[in-house]
This record gives sequence, structure tokens and C-alpha cells, in this order.
Amino acid sequence: MSHATTRAPFKARADAALADRTLKLAIDRTTGTAEAKRAAALSAFPEFEAARARGKAIKDHVIAHLDHYLEEFERNAIASGARVHWAADDAEARAIVTRICLEADARLVTRAKSMLGEEIGLPHALADAGIERVETDLAEHIIQLAGEAPSHIIWPAMHRTREQVADLFRTGHHPPPAAEDPASMVQSARRELRAKFLGADVGISGANFLVADTGATCTVTNEGNAELTTTPPRIHIVTAGIEKLVPSTAHAFALLRLLVRSATGGEMTQYTTFHCGPKRPGDADGPEEMHIVLVDNGRSRMLADEFRAMLRCIRCGACMNHCVVYRQIGGHAYGGTYPGPMGAVLTPVLDGLAAARDLPHACTMNGRCAEVCPVGIPLPTLLRAWRARSWREGREPGAVRAGLSLWARLATRPRLYRLASRIGVRGLRLFGRGGWIARLPLAGGWTAHRDLPRPEGRTFMEQYRAWQARKGAGR
Amino acid sequence: MSAKPAPRVGLFVTCLVDAIRPRIGFAAIQLLEEAGCIVEVPLAQTCCGQPAFNSGDDADAARLARQTIAAFEGFDHVVLPSGSCAATMVHGYPDLLAGDADWAARARDLAARTHEITSFLVDVMGFRPEGRRLEASATYHDSCSGLRDLGVAAQPRALLAAVEGLQMRGLEGNDVCCGFGGTFCVKYAPISNAIVTEKAEAIQRSGADLLLAGDLGCLMNMAGKLHRSGAATRCFHTIEVLAGQADGPAIGEEG
Amino acid sequence: MTARDRILNAVRAGLPTPRATPDAIAAEARALLDAPEARRPALAAPGLADSFCAKAAALGTTVARLPDLAALPEAVRGYLADHGLSATLALQPAPSLAVLDWSGIERHSAIAPDEPVALGLARWGIAESGSLVIHSGPDTPILLSFLPLHHIVVLHEDRLLPHLEDYAARTAGEAPPRNAILITGPSGTTDIEGSYVRGAHGPGFLHVILIAPEARPAD
Repeated sequence: MSHATTRAPFKARADAALADRTLKLAIDRTTGTAEAKRAAALSAFPEFEAARARGKAIKDHVIAHLDHYLEEFERNAIASGARVHWAADDAEARAIVTRICLEADARLVTRAKSMLGEEIGLPHALADAGIERVETDLAEHIIQLAGEAPSHIIWPAMHRTREQVADLFRTGHHPPPAAEDPASMVQSARRELRAKFLGADVGISGANFLVADTGATCTVTNEGNAELTTTPPRIHIVTAGIEKLVPSTAHAFALLRLLVRSATGGEMTQYTTFHCGPKRPGDADGPEEMHIVLVDNGRSRMLADEFRAMLRCIRCGACMNHCVVYRQIGGHAYGGTYPGPMGAVLTPVLDGLAAARDLPHACTMNGRCAEVCPVGIPLPTLLRAWRARSWREGREPGAVRAGLSLWARLATRPRLYRLASRIGVRGLRLFGRGGWIARLPLAGGWTAHRDLPRPEGRTFMEQYRAWQARKGAGR
Repeated sequence: MSAKPAPRVGLFVTCLVDAIRPRIGFAAIQLLEEAGCIVEVPLAQTCCGQPAFNSGDDADAARLARQTIAAFEGFDHVVLPSGSCAATMVHGYPDLLAGDADWAARARDLAARTHEITSFLVDVMGFRPEGRRLEASATYHDSCSGLRDLGVAAQPRALLAAVEGLQMRGLEGNDVCCGFGGTFCVKYAPISNAIVTEKAEAIQRSGADLLLAGDLGCLMNMAGKLHRSGAATRCFHTIEVLAGQADGPAIGEEG
Repeated sequence: MTARDRILNAVRAGLPTPRATPDAIAAEARALLDAPEARRPALAAPGLADSFCAKAAALGTTVARLPDLAALPEAVRGYLADHGLSATLALQPAPSLAVLDWSGIERHSAIAPDEPVALGLARWGIAESGSLVIHSGPDTPILLSFLPLHHIVVLHEDRLLPHLEDYAARTAGEAPPRNAILITGPSGTTDIEGSYVRGAHGPGFLHVILIAPEARPAD
């Protein structure tokens, strides 16, 4: 679901984010904690590197045999009593979910956080169908009250400070929270949402894993909201991307160890739940119907092109927690469903390169995201692949193309290049005083914020030839 | 005693060193010769092509890759005073030319011979500078490409430990990007500025007299920010200190 | 063409032909689970019970150890008194619990939305992570583990498994329940500024009562 096309351009969004000191404070608090906790979890898990190599191999195996696993999963899910639906794109997925809700006469739908649900635009689709939607994850509850989209895939409300949450709860909760410390506010949300859980007609969740050999879907949460979303209503709907498959429960556990440590620095989420079909005859509780919507939405296309490695992503958020750009501008500035490095790779797939051209460029290529990725996705390589595609498709600004082309014509003619450098550095020196250049035409991006060291005066190549001559004479 | 013949090293000075701070290139020659290498600087070199490569301009990047490969054929080793340019040659060229029947093998051959200078001095030459003395405190920033693409981390520190009197201080976030990112720093200047502002603050908090790093691009970014914000920190490329040149002008000081 | 066919065709278009046989795929999948000990954390302590207790305690789960199931009601009375809770309990309708002497405690099987305390049985425990495994079933309502503020779970020590894979191996080939839940610590959230708060939606208190192995009646 495209947010990018309806909003200000990336640079304007980034500038607004940079000017928001409260946002920066909120980002630093959460990503700083996440980074420290992940580091601690890894130092307590010396087998992490070996586990990561296996996690990557599991994902690669599934991707290489995705057709097989999709069919196996479908077979077993149907055998468990679930109904399986296939959606080639976001519109099909929205249509399937709303149709199930409308046919069930659903008035109230509870939803457990799912980034795929955001990706396919489910919140808006339910509203358009006149169905009341209640987000049950605490962070999603906060941003639902604020009328916002998630700014992080693990902490969707991480851009909001406690004071801002208190403001939202004061008007959104009846009665308002007793106090404005996090514990009182969490308590208030618990009370506020309890009745909704039990009164819902349909519960919608995502899936962290789809287990092929059992047909089960797996959710992980720390709050327990997924189970409260998927158990009381008559109907449970799962929306999941087709890349979420794993061969078996044991494979899911291997990935789970990586996912939780990378996401929150914990070892296990508090609740790891496998949902397999509707309630069995005689079961004490559980939904009467279970529907699983398998969503492609660009994934089969990625499988066929240079972005296949991105299908390994298990949505842990470590790449954004460790990204210097994300930590300055936060998630909303990216303008898509998924922010940070993984979002900069995925958003052009989902929203098109025309709408998201800036994202793969707004990266310093420092490689920290790939370093922390628990399934070894070469994120900078994929971002560069988008830049190359953008170049091939002629999407790069004319000035950039002309500048690079001129520079390349010089750089591929060493004699001319040496001459141009000699002239260039002398010219550059004219703009400086002392050792620094404080203002330089056409380089305002640099000198607006920092000084430029003034060139020494003669290029290395000039000096080297003189140096060689001296050295030869000295022999 | 049958001494191994001195290795022939081709020095790629990098376009930034060539234009902005040639003394880094001479420091490289000095150190490589002290380590027992025969050093040559092929005149046919210009830029490694990274600006084109990272802009997605694969055709121009490949042209520069071929030019560089040809210029450095025949050397035992190719050494660069930059982890970033070295990484382009080690990882970028083989990727870029993988589908080029005539050049793929030559690209891999160059990659196998290419080294960032501090790792070359330590890992290949087993070199330690002798008789260096510098009464100062310094902190070290790990430039990203060298660190993550080439594993440059222990080598510069080992070399710096051989400088008597030099007191190394820890840098908070030493492995966090400074916000340079090549053309990123001008294309997304406000974001880059926010990043380098935090970096400059961390450098000042370290209390060190000197900031050292292995890439001139990152150094220009950090030095430029430190100077703009009025800090007194003096910035050098690691090998300038190792070559005993820290008594000369720091980045942004007139010599 | 159905969406299913379109998706499967698109997937196959991106993959090499001929496709591997199911047997070959299964062998590859099995090989991915080889040498698990090199790729998972070691236990926190040599014994399963000690490891389980150490992990559980680190997550804020409280653990009591009892010699046999007959001692359970007394221990529960103590827990209720210690926490200032009234002597009322949502009790999982399991035969092994129903036969105990619960005198002095009001018991019910329906779980209220604001149930203060519920008590149930864990099917297994995982020593690696301090997790409890619960399967839904006729006498195991899922909401019993999620609605109460205090969740008391009885776990027989001989139902402790070393690692997550051991649980997967135990259940492989069985018909899965509607829900298999691994509970690892009390409900919590870090959604407000990353500060950890217990009792987000599920229980704010998780109390495990570990029953010594010799006390378990042969069944």
C-alpha cells in the first residue's frame, strides 16, 4: 500500500524528522536499548554465528523449493480444517479478508500486529467496509489512537514519548489512566481492550512462520495479545507472505532463536504460539473457522530477480536499530510500510521505484545492517542493485548523470585527468583561507554544515614525478 | 641467508589523496619501503570508480575497473591508503565484471592481490614501525568499508601501539559510520550532518588530541565538522602518524 | 487462472527446472537440522530442572518446587495469601487436579474476563529457555493462560525437555492441537519508550510449581 505517493517527497520528510527533537529523543531511547540488549544476548550465545549460517541456509532452502513448500503447507492446513486463500497482490488480499468479515456479518474485528497487514492496507480496507477495527498490540493501539502508521516493525509507536502516549490515552481511554507512568498506562490499555477482545467477531493475525509439515501458522508476541485476538472470536484470519514458510517446527525454532535475540535481545518471546486449524470438536475454546491468506504481492517477482536474498528477511528490525540514517530520521520519513535498510530494499518492490527512488540512495553503505542481519542479507548490495536499476531505467536526475558522465570521461583518460586535477586543486585553493574552505559554490551540501580541507596545492602525481626525479638524482 | 626478494608493490594513491592531501601518499611510500617493498605508483591510475559504482552507473564503473586492473597488472601486491577504495577493488570489481568473459578472471586476480595499507603492513609484511615517538593522545575511528568488507580493525591498532608515547583513547561508537558515504554527504546533506554532528561530539568527549582513521573521505568529513564546531582536535590519516609525520600540518592546517 | 496458479507459476518461473523431488527436498531439510548442539545455546545449568529454574527466574517467573502433587493445594493457599488474593481460583478441568483436596479455596472452571488467578497444567517444560508448553484441548482452555492476572502452572519435572528441538521431536508425526503455546515468562511490553512493564494483556504474574519426579503417579 503506497504511502509514498500521497506524501511530501523523501527529503522534505527527512528534514521534518531532523527538526523534531522529541522524535530524536524517542528514537534514541528505543534503538539504544535494543542495540545494547541485542549485543548482550549475542555475547551469551557463542553459537550465534553458526546459528546464523544455518538460519540463512534454512531460508535459502525454502526459497529454492518454495513451490513445494507452499503446496505442502496448503495440503496440511486444509487437512487441519483451515481454509487457504491465495492473493497475488494487496488488492486481492484486502478483498479476501473483507469478504470473509462481511460474510460473517462481523461488526468488530480485533487485530494482532502484522506488518503484512499494513503492507496490504488492511486497516483502511476494514474501515472502508464499515467494520470496526481494534488494534490489540499496545504500540498499534497507540498509533491507532494517533491515526498514524507504524514507524518501526517491532516497536510501531517508538516515535512517541511517554508524555505523548499519556495525551492519547487521556482522551482515548474511558476512564483515562490513573497516572501517566508507563505501568499505569499499560494497565489502562489492558482494561480498555479487554472487552474488545471478548466481543470481537473476527480476529486477524499475521504469521512469523508457516509450518509446512503441520499446516500451522506461528505468531510470537510478548504481550499475549495474539492469543486473545485469535481465540475468542468465531473466525480467525491469518494474513501471511509466502516467504514465511519453514519445513517443520524444528526449523521454526532455529529461526526463532535468531529472530528474538536480534529483535529485542530476549531469548524467547513470552508467547510463541502455533495455530493449526479451527478449534477441534470438544475443545474448550478457539475459533470455529480459520482462514489463511497467502500473499504474494511482489515476492515471486523478487524470487526471480536480484532481490531474492531479501526473501530471507524474518522482520527482526535489527537493521534499522543499527542504521545511522534510521536513527536520525525515524521510520515515517521512509514513507513506506517498512522503514530502515530492509524497507529501503522492499519499498521500491511494493510502491515502485518511481515513488521510492530516494530510499536506496539515502544510505551511506556502511554495512552495519548486513553485519547484524540474522539471516545474512547483503543489504548494501541490494540497495546498490536498486541504484543500478534506477540508473539503467534513466531515473537518476539529469545533473547527476551529466556530472558523473563528465567525471568518468576524465577519469578514463589518465593524462587529461592529471592535468584537470592540477588545475582543479589550484582553483579550489582560491576559495579557501588558511587550511580550510568555508564556502564553495556547487558544494553547499558540504560547506553548509562543515568546512572543507583546502588542497595542499600540488597533486600527488605532480609531486611524485618531482620526488622520483630527486630520488633518481640522489642514487 | 637467502632473503626473499622484495615484493613489488603498486600503490594506488586514491583520487582524494591525490587532490587534497598528497602527503598521505608519501607516508604510504615511506612505510612500504621501510617494510621492505619496492614501491611504484602507476601513472595510469585515476579513481577506483566508486562514485560511479555507488551511483548505480555500472558502465562507467566497469570502465574504470578495467583501467585500474590493467594499470596494476604485474605487481605482486596492490596497496591503498583507503579501506573504502580497496574494498571496491576487492569486492566491487569481481561483481561488476563477473559477466565479462575477458575481464572476470583479471578482476579476481587483482582482488586477490589488493590490500588496505595497514592490514598489508601487518598481515603480509609483518611490519612494526621502529623508533617512532609522539607525545599525544589519540582516538581511532574505524572506517566502515575497511572494517566490515576487509576486516581492518586490529592491524592499525597494532601499528599505533608501536608508537612510543602515543596514548590511545577509546571512542564511543568507534565502529559507527561518520555519515560521509561518498556522494551521500552532499545528496542528503542534512542527514549526513546530523550523523557527523554526533560523531564529532563523541570524538570531543574522548578528550583525545588527535583523531586517526584510515580513509581520507571520512577524515575530511569528521575534520571539517570538528573545525566548524570549533574543536581543537587535530586529524590525521593513521599512516601519517606511523610515518612520523604528525609533527607536520594536520588536515586543514597549512604546511 | 486462479490466484493460486498465478502465484505458483510465478514462483516456478523464478526457480530452475527440473524441480527437485520431494525426497531430495526432505533430505536437504533434515540435513539443515544436523549438529544442533553447535548452533543452539547450552543449558544454563547441568540439570534440566536447575536450568529451567534459572531461565524462568531470569524472566521474572517465580518457581516453587514440591515433592508431590498432593502438596499443591497448600502451596496455592500460600501463594494466594502471600499476594493478598482471595481464596478463589479458576482451575483447569483436569482429572489429576480435580482429585486434590482444595478445601478452603473456591474453584470454578469458567474464566472471567478479569479473573484474578488461574491454575493449569503444562504439558512440557523446556530447560533451554524456561518455557512452558501448553496444548489446547477439551480440558485445556487457551484463555486460562491469558485472561488471569496471576497464572499458576503446574509442571512435572519429568516432563522437562532439554531443548526446543526436543519438543519438536516429541510431537513430530502427532496430529497437532489447535494451539500449541510456549509460554516464556509473564506478559510484558516495551512499547512505551522501551521501558519494560509486566502484565500487558496476559498475566502479569507467572508462577510455576515444579513437581518432583518420584511423586508422579504412573499412568
